This record gives sequence, structure tokens and C-alpha cells, in this order.
Amino acid sequence: MVKLTIDGREMEFAEGTSLFDACREARGEALPHFCYHPDLPIAGVCRLCQVEIEGMPKLTIACNTTVRDGMVVHTRSERVRKAARQILEMHLINHPVDCPICDQAGECGLQDQYMEYGLYESSVEKDEKVHKAKAQVIGPHVILDKERCVLCSRCVRFCDHVTGTSELGIFNRGDRAEIGIAPGKDLNNPYSLNTVDICPVGALTSRDFRFKKRVWLLKGTPSVCPGCATGCNVRIDHEADRIYRLKPLYNAEVNGRWMCDRGRLEYRQVHAESRLTEPLVADGDERHAVEWPELWERLASLDRGGLAVASPGQTLEELVLFARLGAVLCGEGKVCGGPTEAGRGEGDDLLISGDRTPNRRSLAWLGLEEPAGADLVARAGGTVIVYGGDPVAEAPGFAEAAAHGTLVYLGTHRNATCEAARIVVPMSAWAEKDGIFANKAGRLQAVRRAVARPGEAREDWRFLADWLGRVTDEPQPAGLPELRRLVSETVPDVAGVDLNALPATGAVPVPAGSGGEA
Amino acid sequence: MNRDDYRILSKRFGTRDGHKLPVYEAQGGYGALRRALGESDPATVTETVKASGLRGRGGAGFPAGVKWGFVPKDAETVYFMVNADESEPGTFKDRFLLDYDPHAVIEGAAISSYAVNACLCVIYIRGEFGWLVDRVQTAVDEAYAAGYLGRDILGSGYGLDMIVHKGAGAYICGEETGLINSVTGRKGQPLIKPPFPAVSGFLGKPTIVNNVETVAAVPWILNEGAQAWIDLGTEKSTGTKLFSVSGPVRNPGVHEIPMGLAFRDFFNDWLGGMAEGEELKAVIMGGSSVPVLTAEEAMNTRLDYESLQEAGTMLGSGGMIVIPARCDMVELIQVLMHFYWDESCGQCTPCREGTGWLHRIVRKLRRGEGTLEDIDLLGRVCEGMAGLTICPLADAAVMPMESFLQRFRPEFEALVHEGRPERPDSRWAREIRS
Repeated sequence: MVKLTIDGREMEFAEGTSLFDACREARGEALPHFCYHPDLPIAGVCRLCQVEIEGMPKLTIACNTTVRDGMVVHTRSERVRKAARQILEMHLINHPVDCPICDQAGECGLQDQYMEYGLYESSVEKDEKVHKAKAQVIGPHVILDKERCVLCSRCVRFCDHVTGTSELGIFNRGDRAEIGIAPGKDLNNPYSLNTVDICPVGALTSRDFRFKKRVWLLKGTPSVCPGCATGCNVRIDHEADRIYRLKPLYNAEVNGRWMCDRGRLEYRQVHAESRLTEPLVADGDERHAVEWPELWERLASLDRGGLAVASPGQTLEELVLFARLGAVLCGEGKVCGGPTEAGRGEGDDLLISGDRTPNRRSLAWLGLEEPAGADLVARAGGTVIVYGGDPVAEAPGFAEAAAHGTLVYLGTHRNATCEAARIVVPMSAWAEKDGIFANKAGRLQAVRRAVARPGEAREDWRFLADWLGRVTDEPQPAGLPELRRLVSETVPDVAGVDLNALPATGAVPVPAGSGGEA
Repeated sequence: MNRDDYRILSKRFGTRDGHKLPVYEAQGGYGALRRALGESDPATVTETVKASGLRGRGGAGFPAGVKWGFVPKDAETVYFMVNADESEPGTFKDRFLLDYDPHAVIEGAAISSYAVNACLCVIYIRGEFGWLVDRVQTAVDEAYAAGYLGRDILGSGYGLDMIVHKGAGAYICGEETGLINSVTGRKGQPLIKPPFPAVSGFLGKPTIVNNVETVAAVPWILNEGAQAWIDLGTEKSTGTKLFSVSGPVRNPGVHEIPMGLAFRDFFNDWLGGMAEGEELKAVIMGGSSVPVLTAEEAMNTRLDYESLQEAGTMLGSGGMIVIPARCDMVELIQVLMHFYWDESCGQCTPCREGTGWLHRIVRKLRRGEGTLEDIDLLGRVCEGMAGLTICPLADAAVMPMESFLQRFRPEFEALVHEGRPERPDSRWAREIRS
């Protein structure tokens, strides 16, 4: 351990700790900075995190300094504040100050630091500023404004060191220096939108989010990306029951500070035109919308016996209820997942999993096998209840096999299975409900309701519990906490985890007998 | 002593075929290398150079032997680089050395490489010195052929390869980490320190970068002994120094003088005073980056590191610019500010933005559009740049700017009161208006 004094407080840190991090801990807030980023190599170019170290004639940048025993550091002295103010002014002299039309306004490092260190009258006339290109499309998802850029080089370092794709560089020198795309390249790596997150100003903005919403109007709900089995932690930014963007949330155990572009744009599915908003039933060849009482009548008249097919896109709680419901309606051993081919794609060694479903692990925990497509088709018959997914599209022949009985679809979107179904029940998308996904490592993480369900769509677990209550004498849980207690009791693999109090970073259940702590 | 007795580094300047190996050898060339490899060891060579007090001639004046001592003792691979990126305005001494005496540079570089146990030496020559690249390469080829470079030099078991590398034309590549980046094939931008290059430089290995004039002095020091070098100069500024003098003096050019010589004597005796009809106004002693001195200040100082520091300026590279009375100081600073604005690498915000800002304010003043507040603003901008960046380029712009303001403020104010100067459309004003 190393003992040093920061702003009069004596503190201890592990050897090798960055002075930047030590100061953050001592101050309760970070030093002003643009270029420092905990997951990128040190650049030391913004020069804002200058601190005074006794015995050193010049101010020193904290980000490139390691704590040393006996160091006496001042971060709030007049000299330090003056330097921060002067350097901030340098950052701003050629900045276009077009905050009124900038998406970053409200979460901009320049704005924040101007409020803290600036608040001076500008010494530069608008027409004396250096002008650069604005609104350049540099990739499928990202747009570049060279004038707003403070050349912190975070985006360049991200593409060099995180994705290793090196699309970006800083071209030219002096105050003509600017971010640019390497010749013949596009910023089209699968993680390109992270550059927008780490851009401390409005230089890189998301083409998807651009001009859609003022950030201070957005409410954030922590959740989990449903795009693949990695389960990146996200913040759903929404307003008035509409999602505007997803931002990665830090989870050292899962995704660090990043997420992929595909997952980030997953939210668009929630508001898709193809969402199911009302129950549908078929009479003869015609299908029409019905009220809930009529739907319940239809469901009550279903023949017993058949097959229940669950999707790995549903939450753990939902799958527990559905497995029970399937056993009651279709028969013991007549509940499965599948087809096993569903939701498979290309993975990489950064975050993207080849399993494009968020909760396959729960299927396994519940003992629900995933038969191959042909096998699934062979099993289909009688009352076939499909919960999520699209087996009709994924298992050729499934629709024909199910047509001999009654195909019931519980789902969120119109798809091939929905088209083939005699009864369709509109359900909630992942951002419209609370629940738990288990990622590929078995980490239990909670998704949370951020926006309202569309139309007549039901909260999945309530609908399933309601149905179970109608077909059995078993008491049904009155609330989600009760359901989660039930899940802990009935699923051995998650026993020992309090599903009602999952830590923010999730929890990995420890197999019984291993002796460890969850 | 006779003035010619001080011609150590400049001994072969003007000598017919002095750049060729036979002439160099005939004058005892490569004897120091032979002795160092045959009779001495790296530690002893380092000790001798350390004892001589030889300071880096590129501008910073850091003791060369001490720098060599920073290389970790257990380092397996070490690189040595000769900084021939001489780009400081007013400086043209290294170019004389490379042109007239390339073998002295090569021998010095080889001995220095031996002292730090380097396996590769790179001579980095600025791109604008195209013809010198050819000249030095020819000399390197001669040295290889004669066995002074390559494997098992002179049967000593020590091997050294030497590469002549041509820069692409950036002032900042004269900063040692910018130079290393440039040699590596990266954009010529300085690196943050720590780590220092002596610990982690070229390809992540310990790397020593020394100026041309520094390494050229090494053979003489080994031949004549550290004390002989010390005897030539002052206590803290040992040896001789090349000054490249420009401006309307009678004898401009490269002069080698003993450290500690009074500027007055140098000016009167060596330079022959001002040319006909010219009057001395100011002197920039060590390249455009050091604070300017008025004629009076200059006349009362001596030419060595400590005297010039006391006078408020620096010895720097020895690029002396003599400024005549007819010179418009604001025009001169405009030229300099244009230079630093153009050459800032753009990495650090205070330098990237500050150099451009200074340049624009000076240009505004020169157009007669400035105010007294603008003059104060110049000082404030300088404050926001000095000492706050990775490398000293920001300081290199600030030092002349602040010293011009301090010593010649009336000339700036005159532009505010009287408007455009008499010759606003001088060559520079036209070029800069873009």
C-alpha cells in the first residue's frame, strides 16, 4: 500500500493506482477530463486533469501519474483551478457552441466543465473561429462533426485497442487536426456506436438518435439487452412510453462499458409496426380481433393433450409458469424448447455471442430440451401452444403438423407462427415487463419495465398465472415477489439466490455442494 | 589562445574532401573509436563523457553522460539515435557538421552507441536536408566498408548497424519522442512521459537520442580527455559551442567559440559588428524559441548556459538571430507565431489551440485592427499554454511571444494607436493573410 495526501486528506492506495483514480476517490468526483478513459490506453492530450504535486515545479497530469508514497497532491488549489479554466478556454475557442442543435447538449463534457470552471465572457469572436466540416456520415450508425471535436482521441483509441479495426485516425496537425476515416474504410465495426458513448462532446453522434429527443427529457431504466446470451447491461432511455436509445451500463463481469450496435438498436423492435396489440381468433379461414372474455372462452375450449413450445427469449419466471401450464394442458413431458436451430448466429470474442437469445440457460435449468426442427415437427399435434419465438419459420413442416390440431401463439410480433395460429395472444416485449434472464455464464440479471404495453397486450406472467388458475386448483402467486420465491423453491439451479434482491450486477448461482457463496 | 584553437568541431569546415574517409582518417579519425573498443569499456566511456560535463546541444542542455546512465543496466536491446532534425529557426550548425564532417558524427555516434551497448544507430535527418542524407549515407557506406560499422567492429566483438533515416518535414520530429514515433512509422507526435525513452523508446526498448553536435564532440573528448574539454569552457558549460549566426552582421555563419565568451567580444571580434548602416536592436541567442534580449541586455551577458539563464533567456541550440534596428518586432513575432502555429502537432489542446490563437491575434494587430485588450490577451493566452503540454513546443511559442511583449510592447501599442504599419504588405503579411 502507498500512503499519500490529497487535498489535505491522508489516504492509502494499492501500489500502481493511477493518481487520477486516487483523486476521484479523495474528491468524490473525477478531475476534469476529456481524454482519460478507464478502458483505453492513456493519451494525456486534453491536459485538463492537472494537479499540483508538492516538490514538482510544474503541474502534472494525474492520468499519467502513478501514486507514490508520501506524495502531497492538491487538486483544488487556485493554481490548479486556474489551469483547468485556461485549458477549458482553449478547448472552447474554436468550438462552434451550437448547443441548441447538438444532441450532446445536456450530457456534454464541455457544458459541464464550463459550468464548473468557466463562466467567463468569450474572448473570441464567432467569425475568428477555425471552421471544419460538419455532419459527415462516417459509417452506418455514426455521424461526425469535426468542429465540435476536442481531439481527445478516445474514439481512435477505441477502434485501435478495443475492436482492433483502426478505422479512425487524427489527420493533419495543429489546429487543422481533425478526426477522419482511414482511406477506403467506413466506421462499420459491430461496436461503432460505443464511440458515440465515449465521445465527451457532440462530435460523434448516433444517426439513430440524432435530433430525436433532448436528453434531459429522457428517463433511464436499468435493464439487460435481449439481443444475445451475453446479457449486456443497458440503460433504457425513454420518455412518454417510447424508447429513444439504449446505452451500455457498466458491469465488469459482463460487458464492461461496451455493447454491440445490433443489441443497441434492438429497442426498435419494441415499437415495431408488427407488434401484436389485441387477441386474435380464427373462425374458419377468417381471423379477427376479440375481447378478452371471448378469448378466455376459446382457450377454455381447447382440447387437452398436445405440445407446448417455449422460447429462450422469455424470462425465467415466465418459463416456470409456462412449463407448468404446458404440463397441465398438453401433458407431462410435452413441454420443450426449440427448435434448437433457432437464434443461432456468428459470435465474436468481444461481446457478441453466437447464441442470439437471452435466456437459453433457463430452459436447461427447467429441463426443457430443445429438439431439432424435424424432431419438433414430429412431436407437434393436438393443441400446440407456442410461447415466443417463431418455430413455423425455423422448423419447416411445423405449421402443417400443427394444423391437424389447434395452434395457439403467445407472442409479441406478427411472424410466420402468428400467421399460422388459430388463437393469438398479445404479450409484452422485454422492455415492458419485469423479469430475469440467465446469460450464457448463468448470471441472473433483471430486465425492468420501462414503457407501457401496447393496446391489449398482457403482462406475461399474470396472463400465464391467470390461465393456470382457470385450469387447475393450484393457488397462483399474487405478485412478482411471490412468483420469484416460488421459482427459487422449484428450480434447484437457482436455489440459494434471492431473486427479489438481485445485485445490480446480477448473481451467478453456485451449484449445490460446491461450498462457495453466491 | 588563437581563435582557431577553439576549432574542434568545426576543424574540417572548409577542408577539401574533409567529408571523405581518407581525409578524416589522415587527421586521426576513428582513432577514438578504435581505442574505446580496444582499450576501454562502455562504463568507462560513459564515465569520461559524464566527467567532461558535455551537455546536450539540441537545446535542452541535459548532460549527455547522465542521460546515457538512465539506460537500465540489464537491458538486452538498446537503440541509439542521432537527432539531425535541425529545424529550430535560426539554427544551421548541425547541417555544417553533416556536410563537412559526417565521419566525426558517425564516429561519435558509434562510440556513444558502444557506451550504451546499442545494437542499432539511426541518424534521423530532416527531410529538407535531402542532399545531406546522400552525403551521410555515403559516409556510412565508407565506414561499413572500412570495418568501423557492422559486425565485430575492428575485431572487438562489438557490432553496430547504422541507418540513415530521412524525416518527412516536421519541426516536432526534433523532439526526441516525436523523432522515435516518426522512425517507427507513426505520426510524428511526442509521447507522454513517463516512460522516458531511455527506459522505453523505439519499439519499446531503451533508446538514447542525442543531437548531432553532442555526438560529434565525443571523439575529441575521448582523445584529449575530459579535463581538456572542461578547460575550454566554464564550470557548468564545458567545452566549445557552435553558434549559427544570421542577421546583418559582417561575418554571419557558423562560429565555434569557447563557452563563457562575452557576447560583446563575440559580436565585435568574431562577427565583426553590424553591417554597414545597420544598428543592433535585439538578439535571439539560441534559436527562435528562446526569449529575445535587447541589445543592451545582450551586450552585458556571456555565452554559456548559466549566464544566459541569468539574463532571462537560454543558450538553446545556439541559433543566434541578430536583429537590426530597422526590423519591425511585431512583424518578426508574426513570422514566429505563424511558424509555431503551422508546426504544432495538434495533440495537446493548449498548444493546438493556443498557437493558432496567438497567431490570429498578432495578425489582427498587424492589420491595424487590434485593441489594447488584444495585447493583454496575448499574455493571457501564453499563460494558458506554458508548461501545460506533453512537449515543450507550446513553451517554445510562449517564450518569444512573452519576451517580445515584455521588451517591445510600445511597438505593439503603436499598431493599435497608429493603425497599419508602414509595410503591412511585406512578404510575410501577404503569405499569412490566407
